[in-house]
Amino acid sequence: MVDQTLDTPATLKSRAAEWAALPVRGVMRLLDWPMRLAQRIVGLGGMPYVFLLPNLIFFGTFVITPLIINFAFSLTGGPELFIEDRPFVGGEQYGFLFDCENALNVSTCREDRFWRGIYNTGTFVFFQVSLMILFSLITALVLNMKIRARGFFRSVFFFPVLLSPVVVALIWKWILLRDGLLNAFLTSIGLEKILFFVDPTWAMFWAVFVSIWAHMGFYTLIILAGLQAIPQDLYEAAQMDGTPRMRVFWRITLPLLWPNLLVVLVLSLIKGVQTFDEVYVLTGGGPGTATQFIVQYIYNTGFSNQVQNFGLAAAASMVLGTVLLVLTVIQLVVARRKGGI
Amino acid sequence: MADLELKSVRKAFGEVEVIHGVSLRIADGEFVVLVGPSGCGKSTLLRMIAGLEKVTEGDVLIDGDVVNDVTAAERGLAMVFQSYALYPHMSVYKNMAFGLENTRMDRVEIDRRVNRAAEMLRITPYLQRKPRALSGGQRQRVAIGRAIVRDPKIFLFDEPLSNLDAELRVTMRKELAGLHAELGGTMIYVTHDQIEAMTLADTIVVLRDGYVEQIGRPLELYNRPRNRFVAGFIGSPKMNLLDGHVAGSDGDTLTVMLAGEHTIPVPFAGGRAAPGDPVTLGIRPEHMSVVDGEDAPATIPVKVDLNEQLGGETYLYCTAAGLPQLTIHQPGQRRAQRGDALRLALETDQAHLFDGSGDALGHGRAAEHG
Repeated sequence: MVDQTLDTPATLKSRAAEWAALPVRGVMRLLDWPMRLAQRIVGLGGMPYVFLLPNLIFFGTFVITPLIINFAFSLTGGPELFIEDRPFVGGEQYGFLFDCENALNVSTCREDRFWRGIYNTGTFVFFQVSLMILFSLITALVLNMKIRARGFFRSVFFFPVLLSPVVVALIWKWILLRDGLLNAFLTSIGLEKILFFVDPTWAMFWAVFVSIWAHMGFYTLIILAGLQAIPQDLYEAAQMDGTPRMRVFWRITLPLLWPNLLVVLVLSLIKGVQTFDEVYVLTGGGPGTATQFIVQYIYNTGFSNQVQNFGLAAAASMVLGTVLLVLTVIQLVVARRKGGI
Repeated sequence: MADLELKSVRKAFGEVEVIHGVSLRIADGEFVVLVGPSGCGKSTLLRMIAGLEKVTEGDVLIDGDVVNDVTAAERGLAMVFQSYALYPHMSVYKNMAFGLENTRMDRVEIDRRVNRAAEMLRITPYLQRKPRALSGGQRQRVAIGRAIVRDPKIFLFDEPLSNLDAELRVTMRKELAGLHAELGGTMIYVTHDQIEAMTLADTIVVLRDGYVEQIGRPLELYNRPRNRFVAGFIGSPKMNLLDGHVAGSDGDTLTVMLAGEHTIPVPFAGGRAAPGDPVTLGIRPEHMSVVDGEDAPATIPVKVDLNEQLGGETYLYCTAAGLPQLTIHQPGQRRAQRGDALRLALETDQAHLFDGSGDALGHGRAAEHG
């Protein structure tokens, strides 16, 4: 009588799978009774909420609660840290922020640094977003062609995205400082040094440039994905129709890429408005307040100034938050419409 | 309207040659179907004619002019794609007008052409709709309309019906045939579906692995396939191909011994086969019938595997000792159950014989004159 179990690869594989499943089974068994208990308490219809609970707790602790605390702070005044010590002032902080004699002239505002921050952020976002989309689009179009070493270039353009913003800023600072790499190059070819961080226009230029350099790869990737989603057949049909290349771009590529471009626009707007770390490390907001953005204003007001004005910083945060909320709603609407061209 | 000629056309992607010297003449107004299994190079051939793929070697001639280096647009051809390739963001009207706008044609003329094509294809009510609001069949019509408005020298179709459901495919097939009759243009049509090929074509070109296997009228291919491949590919259900060897020859009759010791005398006027040579006997499903008699010549005892009753006709799938499963087509209804023992008679004057390398040795007398 022959009775033996053969260790064929198939049985070994299934045995390995059994072993691998053991910890999972353990966890399941551990979770079994609390889940049954939960279902007995809330009923089957309530179970989705039980599963959502961990995330809700996390979101509530780190997003909703701080938001509420921040809003509460924005209604108080004084230098005290703990909210129970702070006097309630109502909308005074908001009033202070928006107290301008002439809404069109920033210098007539009582808190002109806030408005300067908004103005700087606006300028930055306008140039950064528009140029970044343009460059990302051009880069994606080139990377979508059958060029040599395409994979290599695709990675090269994406690498800066992987760097920490502080590292990016430090690298560029090293290049742009008075005795930096770029000035060394300029002097070596007989030109004069340029004090990039002393001239407000240059400082803003480099803030925009470095920010584009650091983030472009991400948006290029989104646009590239959009380009690749356009069926090749359409281009061949256009080719059979004798469509000139520019007309193919304007009449076929661009309209079909439009949903992706909208996503890129809104995402980069949101990120642009939030810009802080790169530019703070690169220029420190200077010269003067030439590159001081709204987030830096909030940071300075709340934490870095001699007199820490938590209430005012909290109020400014609420204003910024409202702007971001509007942009996010736009993004959601855009993303939802993306399905139906 | 134009004629087309391919002269020893070759295509290689890098090191790999996929079209190995295809020569072909297509007369003005002809409907030619390129047919073959997937990967046979039929679409590549069509794309080379269209100008979407470069010709590696050989010449493509339209109306006698070599067009190898002429761009797709300047060849004056129109193509209907498998995926329809409609511009999703443009209305049906815009889709059809787009190609004409490229040529800076007069608006009034564009309008006239689009409306005429729309009428012909019965899509006038949908002219302002976007493609996504159309059914598969309607999209297909728009794609054809886009080709018609350009008044091309030659229409090219790349598997245009393969995305449609079976019923719609039959309808569209009939419409395409009607359209060809109406327009009278030269049409080159690629498909893997031999029924489409049989029903639409004036001429069928059977391709396999980048080689032309046979060119001919549909019934010519059906009745006198040049080799085993064409015999098996054309016709549905497939021809039964039974391996064996020549047992003897007696003037105009060749005795074939099939695997499983079935002896079949085939009336056959070819002299190339000698006793002992391996041969394949091809017999179409409709050329076999169930007989009652015992041990008559050219009969095979079989067992029924499956009986498919379609009402008007019956397909029997049977096995015989040593042979692959046989398909028998019987008109009308026939009762038979799995496991039933039957005797099949082969209409040997309709049979085909192929030699060891698959080339046709000849066809039974009836097939020869069919």
